[in-house]
Amino acid sequence: MKNNLRSLREARGWTQGALADELDVSRQTVNALETGRYDPSLPLAFRISRLFGQPLESIFDPEEALRA
Amino acid sequence: MTRKLDTSKVDSSRGDRARAKAYFREFVPGMVGYVVVLVVVLIFGDLDGTSPWRFVWAILPVLPLLLVLRAVSRHLRRIDEFQQHQLLQGLGIGFAVAMIAAVTVGFLGIAGLDMRLAGWIIFAAGMVGWVVGAAGAAAIKR
Repeated sequence: MKNNLRSLREARGWTQGALADELDVSRQTVNALETGRYDPSLPLAFRISRLFGQPLESIFDPEEALRA
Repeated sequence: MTRKLDTSKVDSSRGDRARAKAYFREFVPGMVGYVVVLVVVLIFGDLDGTSPWRFVWAILPVLPLLLVLRAVSRHLRRIDEFQQHQLLQGLGIGFAVAMIAAVTVGFLGIAGLDMRLAGWIIFAAGMVGWVVGAAGAAAIKR
């Protein structure tokens, strides 16, 4: 699933490591999320949504997932 | 902007380092114990002898490995969902490869082939399967 996690993170001046600590996941996981290699579970997706103060659908592109 | 920072030598977050440290702290005693017990068994165990106690000596190195099992188990609960997925996929493939190796070795044994190292062949196959499976899980888009 496509997402704009990288641009949201960069807008805040965070490294992947810093975002990983905010979300309590590994840097490897943040990288996999940003590159679309991994789709997060609902709890993690909601943590991301809460952290950036944006609804899920503005961070993740569900159309991309539905087409897959 | 921050990509420059992301390619820095520190390829982990604080949480990563804490988890790795905890794993290392729990894993090392088991491995050190294994090596120490193994050396003691090889020196004093008289595994080529005829005493029935040699069987007890032979399985002694397995005991410290239980600490390794505990360390891996606790590590699995500590890591995040993506890492769990990768680790479990690797373990699953390793298990499947080990089972196939076990059946293969079993049939070869039935056919009369001397398989004194059968256990180690199965172990090696499982470990290789685990590593290859984990590498594959890391490369495949999910």
